[in-house]
Amino acid sequence: MILAFALAAAFLFGSGAYLLLKRDLIRMVAGIMLISQCAVVTIIAASLGRGRAAIAVAPGDPVSDPLPQALALTALVIGLATVALLLALVHRAVVVFRTAEQDRLAATEAAHEAALERERRADREEVGPAPEEAGPAEEEPADGGRAR
Amino acid sequence: MVVIRGGAAPPGAGQRHRGSAVDWPGWLACAAALAGFALCLLGWLAGGGAFALPWAPSLDLELSFALDGLAVLYGLLATGVGALVFAYGTRYLSLHLEHQRRQAVERWRFWPWMALFAVAMVGLATAQDLVLVFVFFDLTAVCSYFLIGFDRAEREARTSALMALLVTVVAAVAMLVAAVLLYAAHGTFSIPELLARAAPSATTTLAAALLAVAALAKSAQVPLHFWLPRAMAAPTPVSAYLHSAAMVAAGVLVIGRVHPLLARSEAVLTGLLVVGAASVVVGGVLALRRDVLKQVLAYSTISQYGYVVMMYGMGGAAGNGAAAFYVLAHGVAKSALFMTAGAVTMATGEDRLSRLGGLGRRAPVLAVAAGVASATLAALPLTVGFFKDELLFTAALRHGPTTAVLAVVAAALTFAYVGRFWGALFLGPPRGRVGSTPVLLVAPVVVLAVIAVAGGLVVEPFARLAEDAAGVSAGGPVALSPAYHLDARAENLMALAAWAAGGALLALPRVVDRVSRAVAVAGERAGPRRAYEMAVHALNRASTALHDREVRDLRTSIAAVLVPAGVLIGLAFAATPTAGAYVVGAVVGADWLILPLLALVVIATVVIAVAKARLAVALALSVVGFALAAVYALVGAPDVALVAVVVETMLTLVFVAALARMPRAAPERDAGAPARVRRRRRDAIAGGVAGVAVFASVWGFLSQPAPDSVSAEHIRLTPAAHGSDVVTVIVADFRGLDTLVEITVLLVAVVGVATLARRRLW
Amino acid sequence: MRPGGRDGAPDAVVRVVARLLPGPSLMVAAGLIAKGYAEVGDGFAAGVIVALAIAPSYVALGAEGVEAALPVLRHAPAVAVGGLLLALASGFFPLLLGEPPVSHRPAPGEHVVKIGALELFTPLLLDIGVFLLVVGVLTVLLHQFGRPRREGGR
Repeated sequence: MILAFALAAAFLFGSGAYLLLKRDLIRMVAGIMLISQCAVVTIIAASLGRGRAAIAVAPGDPVSDPLPQALALTALVIGLATVALLLALVHRAVVVFRTAEQDRLAATEAAHEAALERERRADREEVGPAPEEAGPAEEEPADGGRAR
Repeated sequence: MVVIRGGAAPPGAGQRHRGSAVDWPGWLACAAALAGFALCLLGWLAGGGAFALPWAPSLDLELSFALDGLAVLYGLLATGVGALVFAYGTRYLSLHLEHQRRQAVERWRFWPWMALFAVAMVGLATAQDLVLVFVFFDLTAVCSYFLIGFDRAEREARTSALMALLVTVVAAVAMLVAAVLLYAAHGTFSIPELLARAAPSATTTLAAALLAVAALAKSAQVPLHFWLPRAMAAPTPVSAYLHSAAMVAAGVLVIGRVHPLLARSEAVLTGLLVVGAASVVVGGVLALRRDVLKQVLAYSTISQYGYVVMMYGMGGAAGNGAAAFYVLAHGVAKSALFMTAGAVTMATGEDRLSRLGGLGRRAPVLAVAAGVASATLAALPLTVGFFKDELLFTAALRHGPTTAVLAVVAAALTFAYVGRFWGALFLGPPRGRVGSTPVLLVAPVVVLAVIAVAGGLVVEPFARLAEDAAGVSAGGPVALSPAYHLDARAENLMALAAWAAGGALLALPRVVDRVSRAVAVAGERAGPRRAYEMAVHALNRASTALHDREVRDLRTSIAAVLVPAGVLIGLAFAATPTAGAYVVGAVVGADWLILPLLALVVIATVVIAVAKARLAVALALSVVGFALAAVYALVGAPDVALVAVVVETMLTLVFVAALARMPRAAPERDAGAPARVRRRRRDAIAGGVAGVAVFASVWGFLSQPAPDSVSAEHIRLTPAAHGSDVVTVIVADFRGLDTLVEITVLLVAVVGVATLARRRLW
Repeated sequence: MRPGGRDGAPDAVVRVVARLLPGPSLMVAAGLIAKGYAEVGDGFAAGVIVALAIAPSYVALGAEGVEAALPVLRHAPAVAVGGLLLALASGFFPLLLGEPPVSHRPAPGEHVVKIGALELFTPLLLDIGVFLLVVGVLTVLLHQFGRPRREGGR
């Protein structure tokens, strides 16, 4: 049984990771859903020392471990919230970029990248002149100072 | 603390005082510094004191402060010089902001940092805990960063501030390492206890060397001196304070504080001696032909603190005493000289020696006061400076002939560059136009000059201060007896030799020029500053490259998370023995129902991965969800099953609704393009690897169930909590906080959804 | 989602069922909450079930239609916020009494008034708060995803 649960979790995660790498944003959301399912399965499977449901337990009864179940409940609820948010995000992206494909998003990203490059150049200037620019000293080597 | 109150008055108040109006935050800082000075003085006369508060007891950290001799010396220096510099600054800053056409409200970017600078110095001087020392040490660096970069519109200022911060803070990490090393060996961060416990050993030597590195970088010693001349980009009050009583002084303060530890190892002391001597020579030679006023002073500071480091390197009562006295005398003289430079520049608009001259007649008061300060630095009699060199020569003679020669060379260099500085400013033919010099820009210099002369006449109080301070560094009482002796003793002869040599250097400007220029060029070609720049640029490049690799697009961002995680898991597996770690598990009873359900999950999962249509993806997702819900019901988790069913229904609904609002999946263009096929294959491999990694870890994790769970306790307590469904009770009671956070997340998420839809909630 | 029916007008049966469904679902929810501590189910599941009962209205009538048919849904955001506040209050009121959060009253071991399966104690408030929150949140969610799109993007 342990092996079966592990296999199911592995398929869920592997498939989720594969979908995450897809271009289609909807499929990325599906990937995230699969990965969160994988997490819940793993948590539930961790309570494999199984018995009946942990309701009105008499001492000595074999019961399923209730704590992982409580954690799984939380995971499910949060998963619902996350997926709703992701779908809204994808929808927004579709409205703005008119496509759910990453190709078009990549073009926007390229523009963003150009902006980053400008920022980076500013950073470079901030740390001082490049060593190759620092020519040999003439009148006032290492003259960094301004009297003021 | 008093000083903080000085900087914490309500912001915006400065806006009403424009231009030359009274700079009351500055005066507040000044008053606070004066109060601190008085407190330090009273504390010293009362014999000191100490207090300690627990900080992080689990880490053995204490907020322990003590007003011992060393603390008094540096405390008085920081608050006394601080008060004068702050008074000077009230006027200077107004003029400075006016010149730069900046608003007077920018004072609020200045005075809080200055006040904090003073607080940090006093804190550093009194701190008795190595980690506390580190905190204050870095606090001074942070203050200096904002103060050096005060003219933030200028790149030069920003670059210099960054350099000062990087050099001193990165070096300060060595101090933290040393603290941890010592803690590991002796179980305490308390400096007095460490000094009592640490015996000479490899660990002690290493820790001492690390402490010395941090302190030397702070004190701008060769080869980490290059940040200091650049730091001249700061407004003059900052430079004056930074060079005489704060920041640079913090380095030698730390050396003084932990000196008994350094003295456990002869090698560390020798290292100090060598570094100090190198700094004296390099700083002195470079100072000889700087043209910019503040640069001359900056290199002189490197050289002067080189003296102090050298004397600490000599060690013993004489060396420690001389070092403490030297810091005091230098602080007085150097702050006066900086303020002179600032006043001259303010009055003439020039900042180069070559364009200045003959100011003596036009600004006589300043000339005399600056003359006294210069004489103090050059160790002429009738100033407190004479005794600093007398003590230096005594200590050097006691240590050996080499150091004695070095001391004379150092004194000669000092005499030469100080003489050149003062002479070029105030003697010779008048050059440049001179505006008025405000009283407040001259008065502090005069006060310091008076102090210097007073010290030259009655040296007793200064000597007592230095004795007390040196007592801490030397770990035993120190007696200093500086006095004028009108005989031919060795110290006097050395002083005469130094003056003569210094005079000769002054008289031979051409030779000096050539040597100094050669050193400067060599330093520029192969100096540490170049190494620093190359290191910073290389780091910058590496960071850029990594950044490019990671965030080029969404896929690489995801890969940047998945790949390192996979590698880590792989490494963990490679390092863990796996024999017996995996259990297949028995299949009994209801398990026969679960197996086909899990098979269904796997099939649906594969369908999701390969499906072309999005609707198929949505439906297969719900198949996975419902199948898993059935599995939960079968493993004795009915609560989870119920929630899974309803959540899954909801999710399917929302998913389909979202799909309905998406554009139709565009037909895969150039579906057969080799690049795309290659990519798909790569994605499949990545997914497969991820799956295998998860399989290996989940299987291992499930195979090793913990023998007992917290839930036994939960089950036991459930009836007392008036419930019988343990899971519900856990959710509502035992782990109720989790639930509260979780439902808050739910509301936040829906607000996010509404925001993304650019609508109100309804 | 679009209004159902081939001609664009919602089917009469669907409309009636959609309008009536929330009522019984509230009964189920009440049952789930009441016996939540003793049996399977809690406020969260109850909330989702009510929301699921509301969902067909959106499928059948479309957002505007639902607003016209069930104007009470307009209060969903207020219900969500109110539910959250109720739940937080039931969790944090012990702080005012100097006890750790989520200490419930009556305290363990003390007598609890029971009406059938319904126990009157503070976790009940937590459950009701969660229920209201979930109903409100999911209704808003349905509303957001169900509204016909005005922006372009197709």
